[in-house]
Amino acid sequence: MSALTAAEIKVFVDAVIRYFDRLTGDGAVVSASYLADTAIPRSDYTGLITFSGRFRGCIYCSAPRAMLPELLAALGEPDVSEPNLLDAVGELTNTIAGNARSHFGDGLEISVPVTIRGTSERIRAAVRARPYAIVVRWRRHDIAVVVDLERE
Amino acid sequence: MRLLVVDDSNIIRSRIARIALHPRLRGLHVVGLARNGVEAIDKAAATEPDVVTMDLTMPEMDGVACVAELMRSHPALRILVVSALSDKATAIEALKRGARGFLHKPFTDDQLVDALIEVAD
Repeated sequence: MSALTAAEIKVFVDAVIRYFDRLTGDGAVVSASYLADTAIPRSDYTGLITFSGRFRGCIYCSAPRAMLPELLAALGEPDVSEPNLLDAVGELTNTIAGNARSHFGDGLEISVPVTIRGTSERIRAAVRARPYAIVVRWRRHDIAVVVDLERE
Repeated sequence: MRLLVVDDSNIIRSRIARIALHPRLRGLHVVGLARNGVEAIDKAAATEPDVVTMDLTMPEMDGVACVAELMRSHPALRILVVSALSDKATAIEALKRGARGFLHKPFTDDQLVDALIEVAD
């Protein structure tokens, strides 16, 4: 069960907003946030990071394929090959998880990102019951950021 | 000055290499790209860089361990940590091991240029 407080959820929201604002100059907005107790949102490409140390759980960011070439272009990256699409979503997830340590401290140990194409069951298996889902709209694309975080 | 870029993200390695071409960084040129700490140690031995940008969360060998190892083998090296890890303890640990600066991801082009100038100065 998600143990996140409103202030802790805001840590992740702020990290996502900052990522798009700083790197692309195009602001992202939160279009929905909710406790995902029935179905977790997933899209075409996903970056997944697991938490350990004084916490357990995971975070994943899932983005539609159409968004990732736009994100790469905004970063000045001309190579929109499949490995770079996966890398883009992995780095987004890594940045959001890493930035969360400003609030949670170094007791929040984060793995290197695993990147997944498609709505693999591997994503469902990583997330325990009732994670928190934040849907962020950047340009015309919806990105799902799903956080499952609990103190040990 | 010779720059080695260390990051497990291909996008970040490419981006840093592109930013290194900025006119304010004239005199700095990329001599190698590495995907983890083990590769970084090999490439540092092969290319003798003056400046390194170093990610922290990487497979094989993480950045903090790599900073310590590189400072043992190349004491004059100037290392700029470029990481998303935003807690103070991690930054302090990297600086204790010998890094000269710390830049948080996500960073703008100008922020990286400023940080590289400061570290290389």
